[in-house]
Amino acid sequence: MPPIVWFAARRVAHGLVTLWFALTITFLLLRLLPGDPATAIASTNMDAAARQELLTKYGLTEALPVQYVKYLSQVLQGDLGTSFSQSEPVTQVLMARLPWTLLLTGTALVVTVAIGIPLGVLAATHARGALDRAIQVGGVMGQSLFVPSIGIFFLFVLGLKLQWFPIGGASAEDTYGLAWYLGVLHHLVLPCASLVLVSLGSYVLTLRSTLIDALGEDFCTLARAKGTRERTVVWKHGLRNALLPATTLLGLQLGFLVGGAVLTETIFAYPGVGRAIYEAVIRLDFPVLQGAFVLLSATVVIANMLTDLVYGLLDPRVRNA
Amino acid sequence: MSAIALPGIEVDPVADQESAASATWYAFRRNPLGLIALGMLVLLTLIAVAAPLISPYPRGFSTDVLQAPSSAHFFGTDSLGRDVFAEVVWGTRISMTVGVSASALAIGIGVLVGMLGAYFRRVDAVLRLVVDLSLSLPVLPLMILVAAVAGPSLGTIIVVISFFSWPEVARVVRSQALSVVNLPYMDAARLVGGGHAWILRRHLLPAVAPVVTVSVVLTASRAVIAEAGLSFLGLGDPNSWSWGRVLYESQQAGSMTSAWWTTLFPSIAILLLVVAATLVALAYNDARNPRGRES
Repeated sequence: MPPIVWFAARRVAHGLVTLWFALTITFLLLRLLPGDPATAIASTNMDAAARQELLTKYGLTEALPVQYVKYLSQVLQGDLGTSFSQSEPVTQVLMARLPWTLLLTGTALVVTVAIGIPLGVLAATHARGALDRAIQVGGVMGQSLFVPSIGIFFLFVLGLKLQWFPIGGASAEDTYGLAWYLGVLHHLVLPCASLVLVSLGSYVLTLRSTLIDALGEDFCTLARAKGTRERTVVWKHGLRNALLPATTLLGLQLGFLVGGAVLTETIFAYPGVGRAIYEAVIRLDFPVLQGAFVLLSATVVIANMLTDLVYGLLDPRVRNA
Repeated sequence: MSAIALPGIEVDPVADQESAASATWYAFRRNPLGLIALGMLVLLTLIAVAAPLISPYPRGFSTDVLQAPSSAHFFGTDSLGRDVFAEVVWGTRISMTVGVSASALAIGIGVLVGMLGAYFRRVDAVLRLVVDLSLSLPVLPLMILVAAVAGPSLGTIIVVISFFSWPEVARVVRSQALSVVNLPYMDAARLVGGGHAWILRRHLLPAVAPVVTVSVVLTASRAVIAEAGLSFLGLGDPNSWSWGRVLYESQQAGSMTSAWWTTLFPSIAILLLVVAATLVALAYNDARNPRGRES
């Protein structure tokens, strides 16, 4: 088997194991926690007969291992239970919301990289200078921000006082075609900026330190000795090698970014999965909460898998590791 | 390092440890940013301890709703006429309690798992897989799910946060312990006939202690942020004031955008604590590193 196929197979297997782990941990936590495990599926406020029917349907009257197998097979078929508050399948409720969360976190990720790379390069090439210090302090501050705080600040200053941006929702009403798309972008700016601010710090700091290391390596010294311009040394020789750890970190940060999206969407009334989680918390709609975690985990796992696969194609060191 | 014992020269390991600690403290004192941050942490701790002396508990409602900051109410009042200054002061107590307890629990589990993984190579593969898997999942939605099912209380919040924070600690401790377990002094400890528990406690634990110190501070500050996040979504303890709850109440009352003081002050409190904790951890790391001391 060629190494690239072997690498892809290993990566996909790892993704599947992660998903299985997410499902199992949800299953175990909900059943081992104090309280009625059935509340995760059927509300105690329900009509007794309807509740019994649901409990039987989800096999909550059976032994744990049997329940586990049933649960896994139902999730695999895309069945995440029924929402209490909307009496609709959870999958349907959340799938309608998912595109907005993907748009929000995806854009935040792209913007983080687009701003993070120049900032990291700037800090690394001016290492120990005033500019580097400023970027480092900014990075630490950014990492310490509480997402809702920065969201509320943007909402108050840029949304309410200056009225540059809409204060909630994801799209303008009664607009079609190009105007609708522009409206979507306009609504995206503030929630996206809040997320970028909190994720940028650690990305820049990691990139900075790996790039400083890379620029001190022999291959960079050789490139300089050949008379290559410093700009080419930094961008072509150094950065290419420093991007790997930064990209790995970005993968780890995805989970964190999704958590940030829950808070951001809550503040900006953005109609994504995160806002659905907030609404489900208020209504104690456990199936939606469980489904949202499973769905977001799957998103993170798939995104991580794709990033790694692309990276494996680009960088032989990754696929042969 | 005092690993080589020459005849005639007595090396007292305890005295050496003390000098390492004082060298670290000496280097730390020369870092103004680190000192300011440490002072900030001490101040916040004092506020948390002395909360009853500083301000009465934000209990009763009053008719002075949504008053802007004044000399009567330093931070203004919220939508039910409660003093925001009192809420933030008492919030310091709860937020720091949650941060410290959750961090203590997470550190305990994380250090144990990390050391066991590095020391007993057979269980390492399993432990590493569990840590890697839990690190790659979106933690906040999982915490929300568990906190919602278990019901809101301070105990729930602490357990939930620590349960999902230990993998990060375990990862850091494990990688530090791995660089130590193969050193000759560990073999020597085994040769003298030391039991596993004794070696772990007396030889491995001191080696990972500096990493753990940094971890304590960082985990605690992350726990404060996690608590604020859960409370902000309404999963906090409804009977105790934390910074996250102040923000939550403001959002619920719709005063988030009309009364800036109800959100600005708790936000600043969170930022101050987390920045101070991060800077102390960074300064300690720099001070501990002998290479950084010369410059």
